Amino acid sequence: MKGLAPLFLGIFGTFAFSWVGLTVIPNWQIGHLNPQSDEDGTDIYPMPQSGMVQWGARVYAANGCIYCHSEQVRAEYAGADIDRKWGDRRSAPRDYIFERPVLLGKMRMGQDLANIGARAPAEQESPSPGGGGNPAGSPSGAAQSPSPSAAQPKAQGAQSPGATAAPQQQPAASPATSPAASPTSPASKPAPIARAGTGIASPSPGVAAAAAGAASPGAPPLAGPPWPEQTAGLPPMYSAAWHHVHLYSPRSINFDSNMPSYRFLYQARRISDVHSSDALRLTGSDAPPEGWEIIPTYDAKCLVAYMMALNQSHPLKEVKSAGSASAVSPAASPSAAPGGQPPPK
Amino acid sequence: MNPAGIPLKEPSVSAAAGDTEQLERALIDASTRVPVLIFYTSAVAWLILGTLLAGFVSFKLHTPDLLSDISFLTWGRVRPAHMNVMVYGWASMAGMGTAIWLMARLCRTVLRYPLLLVAGAGFWNLGVFLGVGGILLGDSTGYQWLEFPSYAAIILFVAYALVASWAVLMFRFRRGEQIYISQWYLLGAFLWFPWLYAAGQLMLFVVPVQGVLQAAVGWWYANNLLFLWFGAIGLGTAYYMIPKVIGRPVYSYHLAAIGFWSYALFSSWTGMQRLVDGPFPAWMVTASIAATILTLIPVATVGLNHHMTMQGYFPLMRYSPTLRFTVFGAMSYTVFSLVGVVISLRSVAGYVNFTEASIAYSHLGLYAFFTMVIFGSMYYIVPRLIGREWRYGSLIKLHFWASAYGIGLMTLMLLAGGFLQGASMENPSLAFSESVESVLPYLRGRSLAGILLTVSHFIFAYHFGLMLFGLGRKSTVPTFLNPVEAEGAEAHI
Amino acid sequence: MNESTPTPEPHSGQGMDYSEIADVQDVHAAVQREKREPRVGREPLSIWLIAVYGLAVFFGGAYLGRYSGNFSGEALDPYGGEMPTMKKVTGPQGAQQAAELSPHDRGKKIFAANCQTCHQANGLGVAGQYPPLAGSEFTTGGSQRPAMIVMKGLQGPVTVKGQKFGAAVMQPWDKTLTDQKIADVLTYERSEWGNNASPVTAEQIAALRKELANHPNSFTEPDILAVPAEEDLPGGAPAGGAPPKPGEAAKPGEPPKPKG
Repeated sequence: MKGLAPLFLGIFGTFAFSWVGLTVIPNWQIGHLNPQSDEDGTDIYPMPQSGMVQWGARVYAANGCIYCHSEQVRAEYAGADIDRKWGDRRSAPRDYIFERPVLLGKMRMGQDLANIGARAPAEQESPSPGGGGNPAGSPSGAAQSPSPSAAQPKAQGAQSPGATAAPQQQPAASPATSPAASPTSPASKPAPIARAGTGIASPSPGVAAAAAGAASPGAPPLAGPPWPEQTAGLPPMYSAAWHHVHLYSPRSINFDSNMPSYRFLYQARRISDVHSSDALRLTGSDAPPEGWEIIPTYDAKCLVAYMMALNQSHPLKEVKSAGSASAVSPAASPSAAPGGQPPPK
Repeated sequence: MNPAGIPLKEPSVSAAAGDTEQLERALIDASTRVPVLIFYTSAVAWLILGTLLAGFVSFKLHTPDLLSDISFLTWGRVRPAHMNVMVYGWASMAGMGTAIWLMARLCRTVLRYPLLLVAGAGFWNLGVFLGVGGILLGDSTGYQWLEFPSYAAIILFVAYALVASWAVLMFRFRRGEQIYISQWYLLGAFLWFPWLYAAGQLMLFVVPVQGVLQAAVGWWYANNLLFLWFGAIGLGTAYYMIPKVIGRPVYSYHLAAIGFWSYALFSSWTGMQRLVDGPFPAWMVTASIAATILTLIPVATVGLNHHMTMQGYFPLMRYSPTLRFTVFGAMSYTVFSLVGVVISLRSVAGYVNFTEASIAYSHLGLYAFFTMVIFGSMYYIVPRLIGREWRYGSLIKLHFWASAYGIGLMTLMLLAGGFLQGASMENPSLAFSESVESVLPYLRGRSLAGILLTVSHFIFAYHFGLMLFGLGRKSTVPTFLNPVEAEGAEAHI
Repeated sequence: MNESTPTPEPHSGQGMDYSEIADVQDVHAAVQREKREPRVGREPLSIWLIAVYGLAVFFGGAYLGRYSGNFSGEALDPYGGEMPTMKKVTGPQGAQQAAELSPHDRGKKIFAANCQTCHQANGLGVAGQYPPLAGSEFTTGGSQRPAMIVMKGLQGPVTVKGQKFGAAVMQPWDKTLTDQKIADVLTYERSEWGNNASPVTAEQIAALRKELANHPNSFTEPDILAVPAEEDLPGGAPAGGAPPKPGEAAKPGEPPKPKG
């Protein structure tokens, strides 16, 4: 080649071609999406993240969670994501319009997290008996202990197996608070889970339910959906408390887990007179020594707030929900979907 | 095989072609000494750091409790730190060092404005240092291949501006009217990198695109960096070293031209295949997969060109370190591209997406192809800058085999492990942790490969250090990998 | 001098210093033994290679054509399948959901879109700033008080469940929300989080709207407290607890209270 000019033009041209084709044109196509809203304007999805959730996304990015976890659900024909109950439907561009940085992820050494907030227990909806917003004036019923009490350290933290037989009447201690207790995260859900104390002859779930329900004074006990199966000593799967324990010590929850522990996101603190409601409930060798408790730092709380907010279960018009596939069987629904659907694979 | 028995197709092309030509080259080499050695020394230092970080990454993945409580050593930070040190510290700086020397030689002019390069190297080192420190301390941006926080990225950009302006000036003042193949690739690389980097930074940080497009821009950037920056430097270097060492012309100009333009055109469109089945319009992903298929054109072309050039001279690989590393790298380019095509097809991608197989692909490109070619070029160039030969042929041999076996083992382990991991993930009746279990033994195998690579790099660094301190061999004869038997050997390396 | 000797010797002495090229004869050996700079040959293209190109272009092009979903920005599916429309029917609840959502569920959506930011999804508000609704005497008593608050807003100090609030001001919603929506959200608040108070209808809110038509914005606590705690809006649904959740039978209610 003799001339510099054609060489330069060619170098520029090939680059410009790919830049336009792969970044500019998609930007025209999907770069200015609005959230979906219904006619009333009340059901807007997605909503912008704010506050602790946004900071939590930064913590997630800075600690490299994307190198093991993805946040995208693939369609049914493409992978087993929906079969694994990682989502009701595949992810669509509209799900991510408010995310910065977008944390799609490319590796799955750990589960996909796109709907991890949706997999939180349904009880997340019930009132949190603990946390910062704890109404001080709640009358103390026999079955509740929302305010920290001296007996609580025995229910959490240090394990003395001999204490199992101790006649502790109080059931669950106050749960580790999720960031919902902090006022700045409107989108996150509370974690009101009353937990069975470790090593204590655990109160029946009914008592635990009563404890949670009784925390709102004057209300009758909740007769909600059945509580999840709890492994003794562990918070319910995917609740905020569970996330904290999982981050602190992944192998206490899943022995086969390869996830590194993130203890540097937590602090050990000497228990003063009140036991913090944020304290992690740890067992075995992870548990702090007597008189100490492990509490999450602000980063940890934000990270868990972010994860509790990860929820793509809201239906989108442009994407078929997995639930509608079951409507194809005529016996299930009288009104079959008009227009036909591609047969489920 | 006795190299003396190899017939040359042309009359002797020894440097007796002209004393003036020798002098010219010697002067050029002398003028490139300081900048190129600065780039090389920095690169080797980053290589060692990156290799140590790689050890952490590999071991911590299957032994997660190793040093896990220290915030700046958590796996999620060490992994991007390793990647960025290797990409921007080792590969970019070594590539630039080689490219600078090649540009000087090919433009046939003494290196002008060396201060631009020295300043560029200084800023670049500063940028990488701040960037890696930032990542380890928790400032990673979360975009793969662009994790450097903005305070480091801007320094990198300034550094690069200095280097790029030097390249343009050199090109402006070149002598001779023909532009050799390597110069096309190198000019392309020097121009593509700043445009890429600027586009990536602008569209992700300055005027961010919305939502999933950030991931699209990110992977467009990453793949283009791999092909248009590293690949271009690698191919340009191979196009110089192979004919230079064996003393034969490149086989065909037409093949070279087709190879270059098809390479530029098609490999720049790849990248989206990494997002297969993601929340993107299908055409983007398919366009990239189609482009990946079409990159078989430049692969076939360049491969054929090199092969025909080397025809009859393969035995020289027994002796010449440069040739051995470079040909290994060039062949790896073919393997890397084929693997890339296979794992990007939708039917296969469904299995290997989200698995370790993509790590194998990246390492094939960056290490088996690019790094090996650069090693070869360093073995050629450094004696010409220092005036000594490499001290121990055995160390070079050890370096080669440890690297070759290391990357070969690593690729095999990760590809096999990745397929198994993907197969388990695709089977919903298996718990998710099964997929992790299935890949764990392969990750341990990868750590073993990593040990080989670590040994190899330490050997190289030591050897390079010897050269830097003037402890190389003083000889008219280059350091061969194996003793050359007969007199009259044409292996003038 | 260009012959290579076998087996390189180990380095010993100092030799020349190559850092200066002043002497043209002292060009170092590596440069001297080099071959000339690379150049390019002119072999023609092989026909087989062109065949390979053709195959690559064919497969690449076919792939592009087949799996591009018409190059549309909305086609996430490479097979270019039919665009699925949002189905309101899903599973056994299809019939129910094909009909209207219950007031409770509608109210929940309205709450989420408008009220949740302050009063929180769990209805507990934020200590010192936003009063709770769960178990609040204002929410669960008669429907007159909460309806007034929602319609016209509230400002100034107020005590709820024994705690003081007053830092924040609640905006009026009469201009932003329709009667039906205010009724639905009140119904939701009065039957959620353990609250168990009577639902509110759109007609009641319409009547209240007329009554408050000339009222300036924002009640204060004394205004609200002036209304009896158990006072319901006139014309409401029979008092009898929370409205039935989907699937449950409606509870039989008491006869309407006489208007007081």
